[in-house]
Amino acid sequence: MKTAKSTPSPGLVAGLLIAGLMLAATGGVAHIVNEEPWHPVPAAYLRSLFYANLKPIPWHRIASEYDAPLREPGFAGKTVYELLAPAQAVAGIDHAAAIRRAIAERDRGALYDASTRAVAQLVRSHLERAAAALDRPAVARSEVLAAQRIYRAFADPYLEAAAPEVYRHLGRTWLELTSSIGSPGVLGAGATPPERQRFARASSEVLAFLRDNYEVARGDAGRGRLMPLPAAVDCGAIENDGVAGRLAVLPPGSNVNDQDPLPLLRLNFEARGHDERDLFMVAYGDMVFDSPRIFGEPARSLGIACSTCHNRSDVNRDFFIPGLSHKAGSVDVDGEYFNPRFNDQRDDPLDIPTLRGLRFTAPYGRDGRFASLRDFVRNVIVNEFGGPEPTPLVLDALVAYLLEFDWLPSPYLLPDGRLNDRAPEAARRGEALFNKPFPGLGGRACATCHVPSANFIDRQVHDVGSGDPSAPGARDSFFDTPTLINVKYTAPYFHDGSLETLRDVVEWFDDKHRLQLTPQEVDDLTAYLEAVGEAEEPYEVFDDENTPFALAWAELSTFLSTLDTLIPARDATHALLLLDTVGPDLRLDASAAQDRSVIPKVYEIADAVAAIRAAIAAGDWPAAAARYENYKSLAELYGPSLR
Amino acid sequence: MIRRTALFLTIALFCCAALPAAPPDAKPLVLAFVPQENPEKLIGDVDAICAYLESELGLPVKGYVTLDHTAAIEALRNGDADVSFMGGLPYVLAHNEIGAQVVLAEVYRGSPTYRGRIFVRKDSGIKTLADLRGKSIAFADPISESGFLYPRDIFAREGLLPRDADLKSFFSTVYFAGGYQQAIQAVANGFVDAAGVSQFADLLLRPEELAEVTWIAESDLIPSHVVVARKGLDPERLAAFKRAMLKLNQPDYRHLLKHVYSPDGYVETSHQAYAPVEELARAYGLLRTDRGG
Repeated sequence: MKTAKSTPSPGLVAGLLIAGLMLAATGGVAHIVNEEPWHPVPAAYLRSLFYANLKPIPWHRIASEYDAPLREPGFAGKTVYELLAPAQAVAGIDHAAAIRRAIAERDRGALYDASTRAVAQLVRSHLERAAAALDRPAVARSEVLAAQRIYRAFADPYLEAAAPEVYRHLGRTWLELTSSIGSPGVLGAGATPPERQRFARASSEVLAFLRDNYEVARGDAGRGRLMPLPAAVDCGAIENDGVAGRLAVLPPGSNVNDQDPLPLLRLNFEARGHDERDLFMVAYGDMVFDSPRIFGEPARSLGIACSTCHNRSDVNRDFFIPGLSHKAGSVDVDGEYFNPRFNDQRDDPLDIPTLRGLRFTAPYGRDGRFASLRDFVRNVIVNEFGGPEPTPLVLDALVAYLLEFDWLPSPYLLPDGRLNDRAPEAARRGEALFNKPFPGLGGRACATCHVPSANFIDRQVHDVGSGDPSAPGARDSFFDTPTLINVKYTAPYFHDGSLETLRDVVEWFDDKHRLQLTPQEVDDLTAYLEAVGEAEEPYEVFDDENTPFALAWAELSTFLSTLDTLIPARDATHALLLLDTVGPDLRLDASAAQDRSVIPKVYEIADAVAAIRAAIAAGDWPAAAARYENYKSLAELYGPSLR
Repeated sequence: MIRRTALFLTIALFCCAALPAAPPDAKPLVLAFVPQENPEKLIGDVDAICAYLESELGLPVKGYVTLDHTAAIEALRNGDADVSFMGGLPYVLAHNEIGAQVVLAEVYRGSPTYRGRIFVRKDSGIKTLADLRGKSIAFADPISESGFLYPRDIFAREGLLPRDADLKSFFSTVYFAGGYQQAIQAVANGFVDAAGVSQFADLLLRPEELAEVTWIAESDLIPSHVVVARKGLDPERLAAFKRAMLKLNQPDYRHLLKHVYSPDGYVETSHQAYAPVEELARAYGLLRTDRGG
């Protein structure tokens, strides 16, 4: 299923990495390689544990995972509780009741025990049914594969990280199971009988492992993060022994791939005809924008970078992490997950804002709390995502890059913000309404705050009634006036993304502020917003030449060009940040290559980059310089063919 | 033993919603879907593609998810289904046994053919097929052209394992993992030394897994998966169905391809294109030699 499917793209590097780590089904590929989506039971189980690790714990979300009707094909209308019913036959345990009780009592240890046992015994029930159906290989096969899909909750990456040898042994045991059930063949041709003893041996091994590790009560004592690890493993030790990064896993249903279609990036220096390779600070800042390494864990291991949420300077309308996003395109960045020390104890996901035109849109933050872009960026790095204190160069370069973000050219806007003659008639009628004072707005017009001649902002915060005070009497539901340029492509709207369309916004103001618009006026005002928000080319257009991988390669090779400055300056700190970002990304991006025959070339280039890194890490600058020349030769040789 | 009764898995029987354009007594077109790795998803797909075909054909269209290939082919034989979707190997078996006719071939990456490959881990030290002697290998399924037959035949072609030889005379262990994803991941995760699967299977690996895996040999070209119809299906109805399916190649309809196993498109084909599969099936004793293709 394509994947990922999802379109790989630059800055996509992070997206690709995460696609893997989050274990979420992605995109579509040819039918012979359909990717398996999550079974609803392990998906709900893993999401529930993820929620149970947040503070405050969103118990309503956990309850919903188990009792809300499913929408997945084949399970539609059922609940996870219902899907767990067959597990009750295994040992007579009413798993649904046990999970309900744990939720009602808000006991995370009991939730862990009850739900883990339920999942394990559901695996067991499918294997028992397979054993009973060995005379019917197609049925047995279906049961074994179902068992394996549910067992996935425990296997990867948890068991792999905690006990690699056990993980591989059990991996082979599952192969024994699928291989021993025989084959029905086709019309009798190629039919093979089941190997009962082989099946029984493998089955008993899996069942014993489940019994000893997941069907036991463990409670909450002594454990920090709840993870589906085998009982024999000390979760605390696992978290502290260096594999925590490998256990930085997003729950099923997460989507941190780049938005599809990919927003078009317009950089001011490019529009003026300059090459990014000639702009060291901008190129280095571009790399930092794509680097998860400026953040702390878990963002770093998840591959989350600035560009993950702000695709190509715009938004990522597809971004979604269960428990952190209340809808696609939103995230709560000051909660427990990314940096517990910065947890504000509010479950308040915000709509991801566009960064286009950023140099004109101060103050920053949805509530305009930062006058300085540099201060805002540092807060994102250090507080929201738990990263180390950035160097002055990292901050300055990032800001230099951000300041290059331009709005996309509009087909309808004059320089002073008025509509031109090409704008639709309805939009031009709407323009008059936009500038008209309304009693419901205190005698002000829409244009009073969204000043057309000032890029449709006033650089102030206002309380228009789109949020609620956080406490009685609090005056804290003020939000920064957002620009309307390119707004057609940044849905949903408002700080919390609560309105899906521009028409919704018009109707909301009409209702909330009693504008008393006629239906025709609603249409016209909507048409005006769409005209102001229009862009000539909103999305990147891929073709045989401009492939996602070609775009990624162009970007990564530009990043590497900063070594022209860093190596002569013997700046190990920033060279290593660059190489630690680009090297792994090159390998990961290889999977996005349309022409898969170029993948070995990409790996060869990645090896050359790794060699530069090794020399710099060893302090051998002459070797670093020589290896950089070798890389450039390879890039020149292979670059044109990398598509 | 060939079963005469179709074994429909009772996962689902779908009949799409009422059809304003359909004559009330029109006999429905019936599609039999064979589950791949994820039967539950297929159930949702059946709804979507039935709705499309109903609107295109002006006929009621029903879809079944069958237990397996045999059930789908039996349904075609008995007239319980008119059309099904399957790989080249099940197709030639169905053609041989019940005269099933090929309607269209799937296109992947611009071609109605693909290859099977032998994948290994890069750090395994395995460079040639001969290095796999005494090693373990995972295939997808014994009745799969790209997930077993063609990759297995690479070893015969290279003189390492004659077609009539026991697989265990060369490999230490042979697994059938149940699907392409399970087989390719078994290599990537170090469960086995090699996997013999479709060339596209590595698309299912996570990027960091892909970096660990390479391939050392590939099979001859394999004709792609097909849409088949039962013998005797009304030619006009078949032609209309074919037109509707070919329409999925058009930009406005391409999004529907994901509901029919996600090919990149369809092309017309003929039974002759599947002669190599037939020959291979016969060589491995899967086809009766006294029957013509």
